[in-house]
Amino acid sequence: MDFLNALVVLSNFVLIPAVAYGSQLALGALGVTLIYGILRFSNFAHGDTMAFGTMVVVLVTYLFQSWGLSLGPLPTALLALPFGILGCMVLVLVTDRAVYRFYRQQKAKPVILVIVSMGVMFIMNGLVRFIIGPNDQRFADGERFIISVREFKQMTGLSEGLAIRTTQGITVVTAIIVVALLFWFLNKTRTGKSMRAYSDNEDLALLSGINPERVVLYTWLIVAALATVAGTLYGLDKTFKPFTYFQLLLPIFAAAIVGGLGNPLGAIAGGFVIAFSEVTITYAWKKVLKYLLPENLEPSSLVQLLSTDYKFAVSFAILVVVLLFKPTGLFKGKSV
Amino acid sequence: MSETTKNTALFALVAALFVLSGIFQSWNASLTILNMALISAIMALGVNLQWGFAGLFNVGVMGFVALGGLATVLIGAKPVEGAWSAGGFQILLALVLGAATVVATVLVYTRLPAGRTRTIAVLATLIIGFFIYRAVFDPAVAAVEAINPAMHGNLGGLNWLAVGRDASVRQADLFVLLAWPVGGLLAAGAAWVIGKTALGLRSDYLAIATLGIAEIIIAVMKNEDWLARGVKNVSGLPRPVPYEVTLQDSSSFVERATSLGLDPTTASTLWIKTLYAGLFSVVLVVILVMAQLALKSPWGRMMRAIRDNEVAARAMGKDVTKRHLQIFILGSAICGVAGAMMTTLDGQLTPGSYQPLRFTFLIWLMVIVGGSGNNFGAVLGGFLIYFLWIQVEPMGTWLLDALTSGLPDGNALKEHLKGSAAYMRLMTMGIVLLLVLRFSPRGLIPEK
Amino acid sequence: MSNNPYQDDRGNKDASITKTGGGTMQVSTGTDHAMSTDEAFLIGDSMTGGYGKSGPDILHDCTIAVNKGEIAVIVGPNGAGKSTAMKATFGMLHLRQGSVRLDGTDITGLTPQARVAAGMGFVPQTSNIFTSMTVEENLEMGAFIRKDDYRQTIEQIYDLFPILRDKRRQPAGELSGGQRQQVAVGRALMTQPKVLLLDEPTAGVSPIVMDELFDRIIEVARTGISILMVEQNARQALEIADKGYVLVQGRNAHTGTGKDLLADPEVRQSFLGG
Repeated sequence: MDFLNALVVLSNFVLIPAVAYGSQLALGALGVTLIYGILRFSNFAHGDTMAFGTMVVVLVTYLFQSWGLSLGPLPTALLALPFGILGCMVLVLVTDRAVYRFYRQQKAKPVILVIVSMGVMFIMNGLVRFIIGPNDQRFADGERFIISVREFKQMTGLSEGLAIRTTQGITVVTAIIVVALLFWFLNKTRTGKSMRAYSDNEDLALLSGINPERVVLYTWLIVAALATVAGTLYGLDKTFKPFTYFQLLLPIFAAAIVGGLGNPLGAIAGGFVIAFSEVTITYAWKKVLKYLLPENLEPSSLVQLLSTDYKFAVSFAILVVVLLFKPTGLFKGKSV
Repeated sequence: MSETTKNTALFALVAALFVLSGIFQSWNASLTILNMALISAIMALGVNLQWGFAGLFNVGVMGFVALGGLATVLIGAKPVEGAWSAGGFQILLALVLGAATVVATVLVYTRLPAGRTRTIAVLATLIIGFFIYRAVFDPAVAAVEAINPAMHGNLGGLNWLAVGRDASVRQADLFVLLAWPVGGLLAAGAAWVIGKTALGLRSDYLAIATLGIAEIIIAVMKNEDWLARGVKNVSGLPRPVPYEVTLQDSSSFVERATSLGLDPTTASTLWIKTLYAGLFSVVLVVILVMAQLALKSPWGRMMRAIRDNEVAARAMGKDVTKRHLQIFILGSAICGVAGAMMTTLDGQLTPGSYQPLRFTFLIWLMVIVGGSGNNFGAVLGGFLIYFLWIQVEPMGTWLLDALTSGLPDGNALKEHLKGSAAYMRLMTMGIVLLLVLRFSPRGLIPEK
Repeated sequence: MSNNPYQDDRGNKDASITKTGGGTMQVSTGTDHAMSTDEAFLIGDSMTGGYGKSGPDILHDCTIAVNKGEIAVIVGPNGAGKSTAMKATFGMLHLRQGSVRLDGTDITGLTPQARVAAGMGFVPQTSNIFTSMTVEENLEMGAFIRKDDYRQTIEQIYDLFPILRDKRRQPAGELSGGQRQQVAVGRALMTQPKVLLLDEPTAGVSPIVMDELFDRIIEVARTGISILMVEQNARQALEIADKGYVLVQGRNAHTGTGKDLLADPEVRQSFLGG
């Protein structure tokens, strides 16, 4: 019984939140890794792209709520998601047209594009705050829990409860669907394969008649979709605040690099590695150990390795350790 | 138009901006902007050293600036009574133990043959070391943070000279100037650790490393209350210039002010800001001269040779990694000095105010807009961009007011736009960067 | 250092933000005036030019031609401009004089991509496969411009290179040097080209593999595809060649059938080691 209780506590406070957070990071990192693979630079504006897409979702959600539209137990935001994706697609395509394309024609070095993306980051950052303001927006509605603590206790008779929030469930399900779609697209369709080919060997792709502008176009479209989905899931699970999204850049980069930049599988693995280490290291283990250890060994302190404020430090430490041993990341990087 | 004339004209133009702001807004505001612009120019010089001379991509400027700020507290503030005896030394001991753990782990890893024994030994060293560290560290921190938490709860600084001083008599304290080089040293130390790790990897990962470390430095400063009170901030730091009140009490100063036709209050603030500007200008000029000399020295030529053709430089027997580490440390130290100066100017350390957009990316903007690889460009960029950063906001408000003047008061859109004017400056900065990158990619004063 | 400010990365090679190894292909087409024509299937006629519009000339009045279903080989000492001459026929060199014609049509102004569509296949010396993609995907990418059903072509290539059929699901980067070359040639054949350009197909492979590769190349030629090939291993290459070109410093030094050149004492002396 004690063991079961410990397991329940562990799932409730570590496993489930980490899986949800990991899915969000993985989706974010996929976007970064695709841009890196195809356009060859790290997009500093990715956090703000996520924020923009999510902002559109939030605004459309508010609109639907004011119309009384809802999905019943599911959050209205799911209904607004396609509009967010479309909005984000328009934004990135306009950006590509107005900004990035010129540098491609100039055959600019990737690091120049990194600096360009800083400029784009400033603009998107300002744009989002200009439209929706810098404050928290709560836009999750519908049923709050799939299983609440009370229900779980009644169901199992355990003294510890397990809660699965709707947003966590939705996060995981959506992430699985999106990732499955993405891999199907990259591995099975002609366009997807041409994207991988372009990422692998630009010259040879050109000789094979692959049109780079088309590849870039599809990349941006996919990245916009991924960013909006990742941002919306994160916002539903926590809350939407432009600055937080900007800050997500670090764990997202860390996830993409840990997994191996340019490798989609790596981005997913990296997302979960980062999420799990952040959550485990900043979790107070007292409650779990209480059930597992004999009474006289019960810890008096919280047994929290690091305060939650150091979660960035954790992502970063993991990153350094991985890079020291595997310089190209867990999965071999640099290929889509 | 020759290059010198063009550059002089650019500097004159920027100077004119400050003068115009002095005439049309107030000299007080203009001087406030100038002081921060001077500091920004120093930061830009640091980043230019790294990016312009060596192509190193440092996106953790914020961290080094914050470390400089921390130095100001650690040097300039008075030591908190009883804090050192309560737990200060124990904290130091804990930090030494923590460092020893890391060293021991590295030793275990390098000495033992690869295999399961090594893995277990490494993990054991880490875990045991960590728990010993926490066992020594936690009670000491609790003891320090228990000392008068409303006022202190931290170790304070090393300004022993200020201990006996009567707090009600506010006077200039030149001791705090010592914090500026110390800030540089702190930043240099952090840069050494980062550089050793990130530049030593097979391919370099400096950007992500600096991005991460900067966030960690801020996290430490926000959470380690014993160090500098965390988010509770340290205020009332001593300053190297006199206080306004003291000046207003001095009859000779009042006399001089009146003879110039100024009221004493305004005169005192102006005079103090001018003093700061003087101090900062001295530092800026010293660093600028040193950077120029470095650029023209054999060392600078070697740096550029490495930058332009690393393979050839390696073939000639240059230790590229070591040179990169060197210049990374130097550039970061300059940012640290600037950070210490900034906290001295503010008179307080507020870890919550360090934001990457303002302290990392804005500095990058200065370097790119000014002209990467050109020290004068970086300085010009520092002045110009900081001026814009401050002035775009009122301009934005004015613009939006003008645009929405047709709408009735209380109109939702009008209110929203007016409220959002502050964010215009982020967009403007982005647009400035993109325009410069597109149409003048080498910056306003290009590298020769 | 390049003069283009957008290409100045200050030596930065930060792998966490930038990916190395972007495209390096130079596209340079056209001469500034037309020249007389000949009867060969593919001919680079009296080509003079260099890389970029302002680069120094590497080729000087150099002519390379290959007839239908034949193998032409370009040999010569290092730095003779062998690869350059071949790239010139493929639109990767700016020609100040001369013309390139395919089956009687002037293609001097076409981009390399357009030449692929016009019926030319090109196998670069290095980076000639998509390493992260499977063998089959490599072939599919080769057929990217084809709108019809290309499955039969894949089967033909598997028949030609049976080892590739066994390795079809393996990433091409995991194959041995000789197998990679087969993938590379297979990829180029996917467009069903009328002429195939091979840039040192046997560079870095063992002598046994080299012989096998030459056998395959002869087989390809037998299907009616003209082959223009640059080779380091001059003797073996000339043995299978219908026509040989010896280039020296970007100029035609000797031209003849493979046998003639092998028998020419001067050629033997200077280029074949006696």
